[in-house]
Amino acid sequence: MAAPMNPPSPCRSDVMIQAEAVEKWYPNGFQALRGASLTVNRGEVVVIMGPSGSGKSTFIRTFNALEDFQKGSITVDGIALSNDVRNIDAIRREVGMVFQQFNLFPHLTVLENLTLAPVLVRKRPRAEVELQARALLERVGIAEQAEKFPGQLSGGQQQRVAIARALCMEPRVLLFDEPTSSLDPEMVREVLDVIQALAADDITMVVVTHEVRFARQVAHRVVLMDQGEVVEEAEPETFFTAPRHERTQRFLEQIL
Amino acid sequence: MRKRSAPSPIAFAAAAASPLKRLQRQLAPSAADALLSLGLVALILWAALQLLGWAMGRADWAVVQLNSMLLLVGRYPLAEQWRLWLLALLLALQAGLSWGLLRAWPRADRREQARLWPRHDRIAGLLLALLALLLPFALHLAGPLQWRWWLLAAVLLAGRWAAGRWGQQLPRRALKLVAVLWPLLYLLGFWLIGGGLGLAAVSPGDWGGLLLTLLMASFAMALSFPLGVLLALGRRSSLPLLRWGSVAYIEFIRGAPLITLLFVGQNILGFLLPGGASPDRIWRAAWVLTLFAAAYLAEAVRSGLAAVPPGQLEAARSLGLSQPQSMVLVVIPQALRVALPAMVGQFIALLQDTTLLSLIGLLDLLGTARGIMANPEFLGHSSELYLVLAVLYWGCCASLGLGSRALERRLDPRSVASRR
Repeated sequence: MAAPMNPPSPCRSDVMIQAEAVEKWYPNGFQALRGASLTVNRGEVVVIMGPSGSGKSTFIRTFNALEDFQKGSITVDGIALSNDVRNIDAIRREVGMVFQQFNLFPHLTVLENLTLAPVLVRKRPRAEVELQARALLERVGIAEQAEKFPGQLSGGQQQRVAIARALCMEPRVLLFDEPTSSLDPEMVREVLDVIQALAADDITMVVVTHEVRFARQVAHRVVLMDQGEVVEEAEPETFFTAPRHERTQRFLEQIL
Repeated sequence: MRKRSAPSPIAFAAAAASPLKRLQRQLAPSAADALLSLGLVALILWAALQLLGWAMGRADWAVVQLNSMLLLVGRYPLAEQWRLWLLALLLALQAGLSWGLLRAWPRADRREQARLWPRHDRIAGLLLALLALLLPFALHLAGPLQWRWWLLAAVLLAGRWAAGRWGQQLPRRALKLVAVLWPLLYLLGFWLIGGGLGLAAVSPGDWGGLLLTLLMASFAMALSFPLGVLLALGRRSSLPLLRWGSVAYIEFIRGAPLITLLFVGQNILGFLLPGGASPDRIWRAAWVLTLFAAAYLAEAVRSGLAAVPPGQLEAARSLGLSQPQSMVLVVIPQALRVALPAMVGQFIALLQDTTLLSLIGLLDLLGTARGIMANPEFLGHSSELYLVLAVLYWGCCASLGLGSRALERRLDPRSVASRR
């Protein structure tokens, strides 16, 4: 049941997420995604960048069915995303998510935040999960805060707890939705360091972020989204130094 | 207990100064304020003296003394009253044990604070003991009642002391026991009061006075709570039928005065239900109270649900929790914590609403008192009765409020997750 943290990736080309021509309309008629496509391989770190309102958050939120979509197809680890509730639950178990606002459960201690889902959803023994949770907290550098409540931690600490909480489910993919955007500047580094350390461990990750330095150091591929579609996909060096698309160039001019 | 003041520089300065200086700053920062404070103090003193003078002099407390059992339990058969006292004893013991256990096991993040608690506890215990000692005299209770009252208070304080002394030697799980024992004790209470299963049955018609008031209020509170949560969830449901049904119910109940609903319950419900199924009038009234309170509670819970950021549900769902699991474990606990003060407000209102039962001819505390006033023997002594009633109702409502504030403090993780 409990898959090892870092499954050996025998063949790197294995496809983990396959999104094809995804289109999404919000109920008010606004089209957020206009045929966005993306392939994420096992063990790969993909960074998605783009101006605000480009649909990048919406896009990765479709990967674990927090947002629905009307056209196109998404397959996660071989499971096709459909309206079937069982499929959705199966995918959510395998896909961890870290939010911009941390979304820790304020009424539970840090440790309980981590153990809640593995015990209930994976049906693992509590003692075992607690050991693993403490090890994870150690790994993100906040082992001594296990008994505290989220509201007593700094933003950076909360986000590291949120990462540990996602990891505790032993997901095959981790999605990061602007993980450092609501942090004070001095806390951004500590969170990015944790994510970078994970990347070295071969976990598949999709990261929506504006942190250029992080993208350069960590990403295998950088993707630019604009107006609901994927405009450019390239290795970080190519992406930041020799982008092919005019829209990418304009975007980079604005943020660099 | 010191009032928590806003952290303004003035407050800090005041906290640092001596108590006398602090009092001076709070009551008389300027000459005009000093005058106002003095005037108010004089007014309050005068009113208190007047009341005391009346209570000690002109008032005739025989009416309360002679009817004390009637006021407490109504026409509950004398031979069976030991059951009520046994129940009261168990309740006092349970209350004391819970109090002590909660103190012995502060929340994980409050261990530091816990060291400060015994002092406040000693004050609370002292106040309680003082109240217990003086109340029988103040209420002019009859001799045996007085003794039992003291016994109850002693058991409560002893339970508190024992659980505080040895509670930490029990495992932390013992805390869960507290939550389980209360409902069990409640059910046991119904058995002791109503009889059956080996005990002589006492029909609900013979329950009365404070006993009936507390029974009705607690029954309605216990059942309207889950009902209110369900209604609040229904009102936010995505299923139109459920949503409209909940809205219609809540708005209908909130649009009708309780007294009309009570009359409807007494008169019309009997026709609607098939012959034998119509429950006793006491139970009919209890259900009307429950259904009435549920609608108001639902609105309090709904405001709590609205205060939980949508990200909480998303986070729970993204971890693979099912929708019901997410609601029960993540959203509802947070919503209830936000809604707690409003809900307790509703509970207190509910307790006071039970006085309306006297208008449909039930002998609750007020109904019993009105019955006594109508007795020619006690003519002209309604002031004494009303004063006792006021003290009793105030005591019940105040303890509800105190309990809820203690619960609020225990549930509050000092600050809530960021909600930017």
